[in-house]
Amino acid sequence: MNKSKTYPLYFTFGALLLYTILFVLPGIFGIGYSFTDWSAYSDKLNFVGLANFKTIFSADENYFKILTNTLAFTLVTTVLKNALGLLMAVLLTKHIKLLNFHRGVMFMPSVLSTLIIGMIFTSILDPSIGLLNTFLNSIGLGALAKPWLTTSEFAFGSVMAVDIWKGVGYIMTILIAGILSISPTYYEAANIDGANSFQVFRKITFPLLLPTLATTTVLNVIYGLKIFDMVYAMTNGGPGKATTEVLYTAVFKMFSTGQYAVGTALSSVMFLFMVIIGYFMIRVMTRNEVIE
Amino acid sequence: MRKGKRIMSAVLAIAMLGSFTACSGGNPMASSSNAPASAASGTAAAGSSAKQENVTLTFMASQDWIQDAEMKLGAEFEKQTGIKIDYQIIPSAQYTSLLMTKLNAGECPDIFGNQSGRFDIQTQLNVEKNAVDLSSENWAGNVDKAAAEELSVNGKLYGQPIQDVSSVWAVAYNKNIFKDLSIQIPKTYAEFKSTCEKIKTKKITPIYECVSDGWHHTLWLPELGPVIEAANPGLSDKLNNNKATFAGNSTMQLILTQIKEMASLGYWGNNYMSNKYADSAKNIASGKYAMTIANQGFGEEVHKADPKFKADNIGYFVMPLADNQILNVNPCGPSRFIYKNSKNIDAAKKYLEFMASDSSLKYMTDNVSKFNKLPYSNAPSKYTDTIKDFYARYPKTGTVYQTAVKYVTPQWANIGSDISALLLGEEKPDEVLKNIDKNRAQQAKAAKDSAWN
Repeated sequence: MNKSKTYPLYFTFGALLLYTILFVLPGIFGIGYSFTDWSAYSDKLNFVGLANFKTIFSADENYFKILTNTLAFTLVTTVLKNALGLLMAVLLTKHIKLLNFHRGVMFMPSVLSTLIIGMIFTSILDPSIGLLNTFLNSIGLGALAKPWLTTSEFAFGSVMAVDIWKGVGYIMTILIAGILSISPTYYEAANIDGANSFQVFRKITFPLLLPTLATTTVLNVIYGLKIFDMVYAMTNGGPGKATTEVLYTAVFKMFSTGQYAVGTALSSVMFLFMVIIGYFMIRVMTRNEVIE
Repeated sequence: MRKGKRIMSAVLAIAMLGSFTACSGGNPMASSSNAPASAASGTAAAGSSAKQENVTLTFMASQDWIQDAEMKLGAEFEKQTGIKIDYQIIPSAQYTSLLMTKLNAGECPDIFGNQSGRFDIQTQLNVEKNAVDLSSENWAGNVDKAAAEELSVNGKLYGQPIQDVSSVWAVAYNKNIFKDLSIQIPKTYAEFKSTCEKIKTKKITPIYECVSDGWHHTLWLPELGPVIEAANPGLSDKLNNNKATFAGNSTMQLILTQIKEMASLGYWGNNYMSNKYADSAKNIASGKYAMTIANQGFGEEVHKADPKFKADNIGYFVMPLADNQILNVNPCGPSRFIYKNSKNIDAAKKYLEFMASDSSLKYMTDNVSKFNKLPYSNAPSKYTDTIKDFYARYPKTGTVYQTAVKYVTPQWANIGSDISALLLGEEKPDEVLKNIDKNRAQQAKAAKDSAWN
């Protein structure tokens, strides 16, 4: 017996039971249902094997595009939210006037409801009467006024841009906390050695902030893979067939047309997807971690 | 070893987070029904005329289905009975998805709106399971026969019509512009194209189309069901028995090609992807656009948007794609249903009775410009000469495909997405039709339709 353990193992049983009932069992049931013909149209449930998965992966379905869209959304928003969040965090830990006001303004969009932001931006980005294009036209930059949400060329970029605008303040706040937890002695030493700002950032701030960046990356990736409300409110997967369709809007459409089993099968694929991505991501991030 | 455990535990945590959300079926829009079930509803059940308190009925409907006049009547109803109606208006592109999710999750509001249609209310809505039988209500016998048939399953009436179904979706045009340019009503697609060209030369956009709503531009295809049927007699029966497909049908391919051509030639203007149906009357009144697809109450709507514009200056003709000259009739329209598991069924029945009363029907006809004759025997009529002339011009009539063919209405939004993909150049006409077949087959199989299994 390991004497360093403070509490006996059975102390975990309560938590494990709750975890199993609330998380593990629904997950297993969900995967189980994806092998049936469960639908809103019938009360009977029959085992259909891999039929639903065949539907999902058949050549005439659009799911590959949906998977790629979800991955692209995750990658772009994660990279840009981290990069912009880091930039703002570095700026907003300097001695500047009205520091908390600036931090508050940047954080504000994160507090608002995603659906409301989506609806407001649908109006702002309207090509003919939207605020953005009206403004661009009024200052003589009419050439930059584009149909932001109504063409396949710009729609996905616009949705991602709004999501980044909304989420960057949140990431910035976490990174500010990370920067403030770095001991000032490092900076004092660097100052004495005559290091410039960029060197201080590269040799002190960035390396010591890596664990915090790992956390924000994990948060962003999980958020990106599960994105639903922003896309739903702004384009509902359109324009056209699947320009901005992501996994959860597709699952939502399946469920709403009563095709539960196909929807559940798609969720199961998503589950597998997240396990694989999660596994590799955490392996990479814990590779250089020192275990005390 | 310890590192391995850490990795595994972190992976499990992420995976479970994902699976938990995945299995929830995704219904972030579902709001709790704010209908406080109280003993008060029991009082209503007893038919007491005494004012009751604390009952709020939620009524969910798609945008454009609930008129201001109905909300005013709702306020009057509250004064009389104490029953408050909370109208939840949902953007039309999202309505069907949201309603089906709420029905499937068992969180449906007390009253919900849906298009009527004898096939779809049975297979898609499953009214026998989800809606209250209204056959024995006092007003049930007043509903026009054709409209009642589209709201009935196995002889039982499940819904109450909201709108005028006598009018048809047709091209509504500004008579002044046509007169100024000496344009005659087009009878073929070629004539329609030359009409649009003439209008374009005057820097007026020929047609106001609104794709962003997700439903309006879809009208151009299923509403032309009569001309499709005329070219292929018996096609709707074959489609309903899975003996024919949409794909490969030359008339439908032609219609889709002409839809794409109208947009490409600039007849729909530059902003058709973001235009909104709610702005159509305003835009026609402004004279910036000459035509739009609308019902026969549209003249009144334009007059309301601009009092200087006379309602009679809007004329109508059938959509001339594929050289159509048949009037497209449809006895179906948005209707009210009472949710079977509602805690306020009796209060909801009272509301429906109130809405079908002589005075309410008169009030709705007088105050909603697009209503000419609601489908009730006790509803007044207000057809103008322009509308009578329009109906008389097309002696041949046929039923639209969303009513004549099964599994079309439930995928209206999907057809809309496919047609907008066609407009963006992502799909070809036959791909749009193949997708309609595919969605129909999926729904039919899920519904265990014997023709598909």
